[in-house]
Amino acid sequence: MPCARPTRAQVSAGPAASDRLTASASLYYNTDTVTGLRIDPSAATPIWSQLEEQLRQLVATRRLAPGAPVPSVRALAAELIVNPATVAKAYQRLCDAGVLVVRRGEGTFVADRPPEMSRTERARALRESAERYAAVARTLGAGTDEAIAAVEAVLGRLDRAIGGSKR
Amino acid sequence: MTDDIARFEAVTAGYGGRPVLDGFDLRLRRGAVYALLARNGEGKTTAVRCLLGLEPVAAGRVSLFGLDPWSERTRALARVAYVPEEPDALPGLTAPRLGRTVAGLMPRWEAAIYSAQLDRAGVPRDVPFARLSRGQKAHVELALALASRPDFLVLDDPTLGLDHVARRAFYGELIHELVERGVTVFITSHDIAAIEKIATHVGVLRRGKLALDMEIEALKAGFRRVRFGKHVPMPARPLRVESGLWGVEAVLGDYQPAELESWRQKTGAEVAPMSLEEIFVAVADDKEVA
Repeated sequence: MPCARPTRAQVSAGPAASDRLTASASLYYNTDTVTGLRIDPSAATPIWSQLEEQLRQLVATRRLAPGAPVPSVRALAAELIVNPATVAKAYQRLCDAGVLVVRRGEGTFVADRPPEMSRTERARALRESAERYAAVARTLGAGTDEAIAAVEAVLGRLDRAIGGSKR
Repeated sequence: MTDDIARFEAVTAGYGGRPVLDGFDLRLRRGAVYALLARNGEGKTTAVRCLLGLEPVAAGRVSLFGLDPWSERTRALARVAYVPEEPDALPGLTAPRLGRTVAGLMPRWEAAIYSAQLDRAGVPRDVPFARLSRGQKAHVELALALASRPDFLVLDDPTLGLDHVARRAFYGELIHELVERGVTVFITSHDIAAIEKIATHVGVLRRGKLALDMEIEALKAGFRRVRFGKHVPMPARPLRVESGLWGVEAVLGDYQPAELESWRQKTGAEVAPMSLEEIFVAVADDKEVA
């Protein structure tokens, strides 16, 4: 759904009914395309951790660009119908990790230079995902070349989608 | 003055031979959103009634803002608002007249809160309460409760019988209130998905006692489901064990992560986290376990 980018006043106002009841507090692309967060209460992962993970993902894939504003804790809590403390916890962890920054009186933003993962952290995360994918590929009876080709195709598509800016 | 809004200490209550609450302990701290979950007939409503001084306890003690809600009801309930399971406002009155009636009884009443809530919920002003929809009635009850600016809000299964849209709107108003004023909340409900999103603490009432009482953050980390072959030795301290379609299944509610991991490596068992709903079913199910 296309949606006008909310002004800072709307995002931080909270109590305005129109603000809470529409999608104006949604996270959005820097190209004005609305994206969203999906909370799954039936998942085994705690809600703060789902939020943290998805926000991290949006930043990592640049769908939330460096310096972009994110909704206030209150606005996001109201939109997702989640306890504000839960949203605050996810934001706090992302601030501690340097992914988000709070500018006093202005709001919360994606850091201008979101931190890179450490090399060992990244290697571990990659290996864990690769293990899952490799197991699926072998279960399907795919050979090594076929499995690698599928990954390459997906990577190529992703790079084109984000303008090849991040490799 | 402590940070306790309300407290149950070894409370026994209920009718005649069979006490519904039996040695029930619960502590509710300021700022918490405490959700009490239970199967039907396990005494959720009795707990709420004791808390609000609508029912005496047979043994033990209930305190509300440090006072006994049964013998000092008026003072204890001065800053408490209640949304009942069955909407019980005067049936012949329209929402605005209900507001004016309640306003006279509530020293901290704020008419603007009341009318803003009615507006957001789209409650018609000219229809008597009895002829409103179930969802509109719930909104009027919530608006009446919140406009009295309580420090403590008690909700007894407030979304029972509401459809998904009405439930979402109701919880949306509740979150709005939390954001604006940080009221302490005690809520009973069967709506586990919604509860998980708004609660800070969860309790499960089973056989008159609190079978589970945890901060929501610790909750999912505290439970694991394990699945293993028939001849594998049991993990330590299972909460319940069942023979399932895919082997033996056990629920662990009190495990040592290192101990569990070494058991998993030895046995090749499958270890999985659990959702709140699964945890509730495991704790609340009355079948004899383990």
